[in-house]
Amino acid sequence: MPETTIPALQMRTVTKAFGGLTAVDSVDLTVQPGQIFSIIGPNGAGKATVFNLITGIYQPTNGDILLQGQSLKGLTPDRVLRRGIARTFQNIRLFSNMTVMENILVGEHKTFPGDLISIIFHLPNYQSAEKHARTRALELLSFFGPKMVALKDEYAANLSYADRRRVEIARALGSNPKVLLLDEPTAGMNDAETAEAVGYITRMREQFNLTIVLIEHKLQVTMGISDRIAVLDYGKKIAEGLPEEIQRNEQVIEAYLGRKVVVE
Amino acid sequence: MLEFAATNGGPVLFFQQLELGITLGAMYALVALGYTLVYGIIELINFAHGDVFMWSTVVLLLVSNALGLKGTLGGFALIGVLILFLAIGMAVSAFLNVSIERLAYRRLRKAPRLAPLIAAVGVSFILENIAQLTIGSGFIAFPPIFPTTALNIFGVKISILHIFIFGLAVGLMYALDRFIQTTKLGRAMRATAQDPEAAALMGVNVNRTIFMAFLIGGALAGAAGLCYNLVIAQVNFFTGFKFGLIAFTAAVFGGIGNVYGAVAGGFAIGIIYALSIQYFNFLPGGGVAWVDAIVFGILVLTLVFRPSGILGQQVPDKV
Amino acid sequence: MPTFAQFMRAPFARTNHFFETTKLGPYPIAWYVSGWRGGLLVLLAAILFPIFYDQTSIQPLLGDGIQVGIYVILALGLNVVVGYAGLLDLGYVAFFAIGEYVASFLTTGYIFSKLGQSPIIVLKSPMPFILIFPAAALFAGFIGVLFGAPTLRLRGDYLAIVTLGLGEIVPIFFQNVPWFGGNVGASVLYIPNIQLPSLVSSIVGFTTISLTPLLNKAGFYFLTLMMVVIVVLLTNSLRESSLGRAWIAIREDETAASAAGVNLVRTKLLAFAFGAAMGGLGGVLDGANSGSIVPTVFSFNTSITILIMIVLGGIGSLRGVILGAAILRLIDFTLLGQLNTFRQTSPLVTNIHGILHFLALPQFDFNQAKFLIYGLILLAMILLRPQGLLPDRRRQRELVGIGESAEAYSAVGLLEREEAGEGVSGTGSEDMTLFTGSGSDAQGREG
Repeated sequence: MPETTIPALQMRTVTKAFGGLTAVDSVDLTVQPGQIFSIIGPNGAGKATVFNLITGIYQPTNGDILLQGQSLKGLTPDRVLRRGIARTFQNIRLFSNMTVMENILVGEHKTFPGDLISIIFHLPNYQSAEKHARTRALELLSFFGPKMVALKDEYAANLSYADRRRVEIARALGSNPKVLLLDEPTAGMNDAETAEAVGYITRMREQFNLTIVLIEHKLQVTMGISDRIAVLDYGKKIAEGLPEEIQRNEQVIEAYLGRKVVVE
Repeated sequence: MLEFAATNGGPVLFFQQLELGITLGAMYALVALGYTLVYGIIELINFAHGDVFMWSTVVLLLVSNALGLKGTLGGFALIGVLILFLAIGMAVSAFLNVSIERLAYRRLRKAPRLAPLIAAVGVSFILENIAQLTIGSGFIAFPPIFPTTALNIFGVKISILHIFIFGLAVGLMYALDRFIQTTKLGRAMRATAQDPEAAALMGVNVNRTIFMAFLIGGALAGAAGLCYNLVIAQVNFFTGFKFGLIAFTAAVFGGIGNVYGAVAGGFAIGIIYALSIQYFNFLPGGGVAWVDAIVFGILVLTLVFRPSGILGQQVPDKV
Repeated sequence: MPTFAQFMRAPFARTNHFFETTKLGPYPIAWYVSGWRGGLLVLLAAILFPIFYDQTSIQPLLGDGIQVGIYVILALGLNVVVGYAGLLDLGYVAFFAIGEYVASFLTTGYIFSKLGQSPIIVLKSPMPFILIFPAAALFAGFIGVLFGAPTLRLRGDYLAIVTLGLGEIVPIFFQNVPWFGGNVGASVLYIPNIQLPSLVSSIVGFTTISLTPLLNKAGFYFLTLMMVVIVVLLTNSLRESSLGRAWIAIREDETAASAAGVNLVRTKLLAFAFGAAMGGLGGVLDGANSGSIVPTVFSFNTSITILIMIVLGGIGSLRGVILGAAILRLIDFTLLGQLNTFRQTSPLVTNIHGILHFLALPQFDFNQAKFLIYGLILLAMILLRPQGLLPDRRRQRELVGIGESAEAYSAVGLLEREEAGEGVSGTGSEDMTLFTGSGSDAQGREG
């Protein structure tokens, strides 16, 4: 008997237009729970817009986005996060003048009581939230090794590039998400750092029970860790399938790889 | 401000207020252009712009005192004085505006957004209070040099002065439009307003563009200062604060960053202003007491419901 | 070649060095005056100083102290909005006004009383004074929410203009709607004396505490001081909380903060409402202190004066804001008068060849130049020392450009940063802290 599972994340014919420019054109995506799902495509294909649409930074012009079958329509980014989708940014957007610990605590913001009275008088419910959040932040840092724990009181601006990537992921994990969107998590990293990143992305999935959606330019990364890959070009999905299928797909090779070779 | 509300009623009254509104609108539009030019290029609300405008009214008062002007002038004397005053008013405000940019804002271009805005508030405070120390706190009458002749069209009085002001304002706006559309510098300004990064990469001198925005904005405010002295004829150190706010409202109403929006917004707010004085006269204290509140109300509503203004275009946020 | 700004900063470096190295007992001087220890010292001084004066000469001093206290409360409230949440509120005086009118209603019991006519609502008995503080704070906070909810979606600089407009509309409303006393204002009744229990009075030696500032300012002075302490504790607690972190996050990068789960509008609204509530508190104190409402106080000048206190002391810094409020009030109370005396008596001015003879103009008065001086202070600070006299550690990093946050800069500014190839434009960050040593770091860290 085939088991019917509700997809972790689903985009249904989502379109986003800016004035005359259609950045995302009727894209359908279905991500199953526990998958590592990659979105690839040349620059300007609309990958970043897809992430901005899923996280509520943009609202789709048309179509709907569902998290475990529930529509995310009209939700602001913080509401989307509360529903269980966290993200990182391509150009690492940490709070530079906050420490590593504080950055992660902001990521855990949703676990804190929201009323002014609890906050201002540090009532017991606030205090326990703060205590739990700090313990959890240390756990998340220790996921990346004791070296990161030692950096907890360092300002984010003072960290190395690879460490900032790690802290940004830890901040995203702070909200205890069901789905994690990683926007080029290995961009600007050398081979050793990239290999390490690939390692923690796969470990993360097991340890935190995540569904991961990935935008990635490095094909050796996507082909290695993805369960499934979708290819975007000019805002349209031109292919989707298993990594080996994508590697063999004529259209993909032409539109994406082929052009890239020509440019280089 | 002055007693603008007429006592008779009916359509004549409406058109009379409309005529006044268009005259006020011409002045608001000139000042609004200064806000919009600067905002379009460096995204700064030049809070001191109203006071830059006010200083031209003050200097023109001092000059007219020095010249010993008392009563109405005619013929070449009038034309000569008007040209002289226009030149002085525009020069004073342009110089002031450019100096402020050079001394205060330029140093803060790298600072967080709050800093130049706070600096602008400080500059405004300083300009106002120097003016207060110079001419005192009272309202000083500007000599009525312009003849009070008026045309009478179906009972609506259209004064020659108002026609002159309308013509001057529209002439300056046309000149600005030609400058922006046809000259190399104008193109550079448009390019910088759209995308400063790309403009700089294409070889646009950003500093010169910013300088031009302040220079032109200041000059237009100076021209408005002359108009203000001729129409309102009351010079006061605090004029710029409210006038500037109303002109800023006009810029926002029309779509800030858009020069045509500033012109449209200026006339619209001028007309709303003049009509509000008349038709909100039933409020306690009279329409004059409430007209500022009404204009600010429009400002708030515009910003909340249509921040791009009536003519502005929606630009996607850079994320 | 040091720039002018560096030249200006140098003296601070030397003072810092002195305070951080000179030991007083086991710790350097900086240790005693930083963080809560410094606060406690200031509080002790504020409590004890009336003891060293006789009854007559202390009265005007206490009056000044009350004024400083009221403005400290206002500045701390505005600091939550401007310093913590990074929202420029240029119409803060609106909430101050609301607090005063609430105080008037609740102390007189007359609500909507038109001059010479009977009021529309009469409270059965006026509210006990101590309840008026929370009532006014809540009401002002409520109005803050009402104003803020639609406007806080706007970009920061738009918000500044909208609040400015609101700061103009509210006084227009109060001055023109006849129920509020028009330009005359309304009265705020004095607070009844507090009768001490016999046991207490037998110990302290007096039976009543007068809170009526007209007769004896001491009672009201201590009431004000108590309110200041409460507001300091509240704002400090807010800063060291999840909300405080959310504010910093918003200041640095709204998009990232939102994506991390911070509700932008709600978080800004809490800052705005809290600031408004503190403005209301200040209004009650001011109304009760003077016994009446003077509507001309509710001007743009007052809003900006409070802003200048913050910028002078240090945006976002508690002790800085307190210092800024004190300095500005003291300029108002004493310095201007003394400058006038100097102008009238000093040979430098009166002598026709004196170098300051230009000040001898008959109409010149330093009291009139007050706002000019304030404006110069504001501009000088933002250009030369944007982090203020006693900077907040984090704000200093932002304002002197040590850490970068792309969204906080305008496009042109960002471009120039890139051109100059600078990630770090702050020159010598070590010389910019006064009284901060390690103490304040520890204070900031342990939340």
